[in-house]
Amino acid sequence: MVQRSEHADRVLDLAREEADRFGHRYLGPEHLVLAVLRDGRSGACRVLGAHGVDLAAARAALGRLVDRGVVPGPRPSDAELLGALGINLEAIRRTTEQSFGGQAVGRAVREATRARRRGVGRVPRTPLRDPPMLISQVLVHAGDQARGLGIGVIGPELLLLGVVTDIRTPWPRCMNNRWRRQLYASVGLPQGYGGAAGPLLQALGVNLDQLERALLVELGAGVP
Amino acid sequence: MSEAAASSEVTQVAAATSSQDPEVGLAAVAALRGLVEVLEALQVENARAKGWSWQQIAARLGVTKQAVHHKYAGRRFGFRR
Repeated sequence: MVQRSEHADRVLDLAREEADRFGHRYLGPEHLVLAVLRDGRSGACRVLGAHGVDLAAARAALGRLVDRGVVPGPRPSDAELLGALGINLEAIRRTTEQSFGGQAVGRAVREATRARRRGVGRVPRTPLRDPPMLISQVLVHAGDQARGLGIGVIGPELLLLGVVTDIRTPWPRCMNNRWRRQLYASVGLPQGYGGAAGPLLQALGVNLDQLERALLVELGAGVP
Repeated sequence: MSEAAASSEVTQVAAATSSQDPEVGLAAVAALRGLVEVLEALQVENARAKGWSWQQIAARLGVTKQAVHHKYAGRRFGFRR
């Protein structure tokens, strides 16, 4: 099994922070690109730098995508929304986990969000769970690439290669069902959203073929 | 919680729910619904684990036993029939 390196996990944490910075309540491939640039210490960042991309330009480009309606504008977080109703989300999370245990809360979250017959009482999302990660395809592609190249650990370079493959591969049909559409609507994503890393890199004038080749060279150089 | 604190909190909730613009108000209601559904599932599972019948649970939730059974009785996630 291919594991993610600590460096890649740190990039994912930075991606969450970047999403938060834009007031986005989901994590998409576009935030991964920003996170790779912000991390700044990986081969992936060097490759992007060689293509003339820096963090400020990428953030500005994502801001323009917000204006174009490709990605949603800033939205208040669940904690802020519930705070406006006088409800302290953190206190509720803490007390329920203390009383019932984290596992029971996890089961209840799955129960509340699972697909049910006729959708009785089903919610697409709950404030007790982290914002949805819409980068599953990126991670799948990164894993495939790692196996293909015989690399045991997924680092930031493979994550970015996963993003490039994701841009070129249409999301599978299973990503377009009623529940997922509800989930996307609940975080304000436009219909037909399939990751915005493509429009972002296009706006930055990056050629995907060249980027992929440069990343493969970078990975080849890193393999003993 | 003291009575004064409780009543000030109630006024705060009332103010927030009535004076918000729809953009925030509706999103807040959606977040609240997401929270309530999880808390309900948590309490129903807890009650079943303590041997409560569907009828007893339904009476406390203010719904019919068929409704709560339809919603929660399943093979998954440890909810016993």
